[in-house]
Amino acid sequence: MAAPLEKRIILADYGKPDSHTLSVYEAGGGYSALKKALISEKDKWTPDAIINEVKASNLRGRGGAGFPTGLKWSFVPRNTGKPTYVVCNADESEPGTFKDRVILEDLPHSIIEGMILAGLALESGQGYIYLRGEFYKGWQRVDAAIQEAYAKGYLGENILGSGKTFHLATYRGAGAYICGEETALLESLEGRRGHPRLKPPFPAVKGLYGSPTTVNNVETFAAIPHIINNGGDWFKKLGIGNEKSGGTKLFSVSGHVMKPGVYEVPMGISLIDFINETAGGIRPGKELKAVIPGGSSTPVMTRQEAMRAKLDYESMAEIGTFLGSGGMIVLDSSTDMVQLTKRLADFYAHESCGQCTPCREGSKWIADIIDRLIDGNAVEEDLTTLLSFTKNMGNGTTICPFADANVMGVVPIVEKFYDEFLYYLEKGKSGEGK
Amino acid sequence: MRAVENYTFSAKAEERFKKLETQFPERESLVLWALHLVQEDAGYIPPSAISYVAERVGVSRSHVQGVISFYAMFHDKPMGKFHLQVCVNASCWLAGSDELEKTIENHLRIRPGETTPDGLFTYNRQGECLASCGTAPVVQVNADYHESMTPQKLETLIEQLKRNS
Ligand SMILES: Cc1cc2nc3c(=O)[nH]c(=O)nc-3n(C[C@H](O)[C@H](O)[C@H](O)COP(=O)(O)O)c2cc1C
Ligand code: FES
Repeated sequence: MAAPLEKRIILADYGKPDSHTLSVYEAGGGYSALKKALISEKDKWTPDAIINEVKASNLRGRGGAGFPTGLKWSFVPRNTGKPTYVVCNADESEPGTFKDRVILEDLPHSIIEGMILAGLALESGQGYIYLRGEFYKGWQRVDAAIQEAYAKGYLGENILGSGKTFHLATYRGAGAYICGEETALLESLEGRRGHPRLKPPFPAVKGLYGSPTTVNNVETFAAIPHIINNGGDWFKKLGIGNEKSGGTKLFSVSGHVMKPGVYEVPMGISLIDFINETAGGIRPGKELKAVIPGGSSTPVMTRQEAMRAKLDYESMAEIGTFLGSGGMIVLDSSTDMVQLTKRLADFYAHESCGQCTPCREGSKWIADIIDRLIDGNAVEEDLTTLLSFTKNMGNGTTICPFADANVMGVVPIVEKFYDEFLYYLEKGKSGEGK
Repeated sequence: MRAVENYTFSAKAEERFKKLETQFPERESLVLWALHLVQEDAGYIPPSAISYVAERVGVSRSHVQGVISFYAMFHDKPMGKFHLQVCVNASCWLAGSDELEKTIENHLRIRPGETTPDGLFTYNRQGECLASCGTAPVVQVNADYHESMTPQKLETLIEQLKRNS
């Protein structure tokens, strides 16, 4: 059942018994977009027509960066003589994010249909779904759904008698956050260590096996069938904020709210209404202190900032943060921001792939300073040093944006809640913390 | 569990590998898949499996070794029968993962990275968020997630696992 303010499009069948099966998906209109594109409206849905419809929808990549999907697809060259690949990023490991897992486990056919449509748009005959290794149940569900789709003729050669071919296979990661970054994902999918590649060339031109490739997020693909069925303009207008952020979006909310979970709401609704109405509000007797809006790599918002935020790409950018993956962590007045920072800093220090010195060393330094602070061994300069060297960690000094993600996730917490860090410093100096 | 000296794929792994060989145009892609199959067979990646995978896929041993050392889920040492991983990232910490860590340490008397002397349990702190933050805190046991955990529930689970083994 939908929660207050929810508008369920992608999640329409979420919660129904056996929603992961082909029969339930078809009963809810599943694969009708594919049938339209391949059979009943086959002349209309040329590759360009599909891309243009996706452009018109203003769908933006749901993996975190928010890049317009139609535009991304239009960069993939056709007729290169090489195969083109459609890759689904199901590595979901940005702390605070757990929306893709719901689609993978409970609505896997929506991903498959979206990927086949992407295959038609890009004239690709092969797709891969890269799941993080920890998602064993998700992998089983996706694998079973692929087999159902093959059996029913939605995948394989001559799909539904149309003459088109699209094959789909799964791949399992093995515990590395960096493999969510699309070029690291491709390295991993090619059977190597997950080291991000230098860009350009972008995957659109030189991706998997050196061929044209699109990498899109799970939720991005799941939105495609609805766009083909109901039109790009319809999808765009589902958003109630500004036109550039089209559609509904899944948000996964955790932390100090009464009803954590995954919700689908129109883009552009107020953040505080979402917290209070959809997610059941803050725990009784506590007050909102801060919100990490879109996964741990998006800058934390203070209560004041959160009060005026709207859930779309532009409004978040105005406040100096990002909508990101929609993985929202809500923090109430009881939260110790220094301890919270430790959890994130340790995570980034552990997950840096180690290719670039500023990232490998910088992430370790951050974690060490936070540790010293907590252990009572920090000195006055530690905090200023942290704020200084983190300026040189990302900003184009590294191959991929991991270092930027680390800095954006950690530094705003230190800056905006500096008093709490000073408190630990003073406590340490007085010998209390030891 | 599969023999670890002179490891070869089990019949089931062999069948899956044959199918996987048809799905990827370049064989190198099979490295991670082959290692997953080995681990499902043997519980870890025994030394003999490294040459085996290298040979079956057609890459060097050092390539396989490099992959194993990069990815946290591949274990080059035997693990306990049950691998307990407590997520300690932000949302699980907010929901009380500290208490779960204490529960394991007190109950099984092992520290992170250790295995109980009877070989039943290996315990690790999982720094990577497991995408289960809405049902935090979470403990992963082998492939399964145990969500909305409490110290009480964890103790019961550990006792159950002991009984069923
Ligand atoms: C460090 C890092 C981790 C990332 N993790 C993920 C992830 O887990 N899932 C995802 O879809 N995108 C992730 N991304 C974004 C991808 O690089 C890429 O932008 C995305 O898959 C594109 O799909 P979209 O356009 O549909 O969003 C990550 C990026 C970085 C820099
Ligand atoms: S923080 Fe533990 S599952 Fe996300």
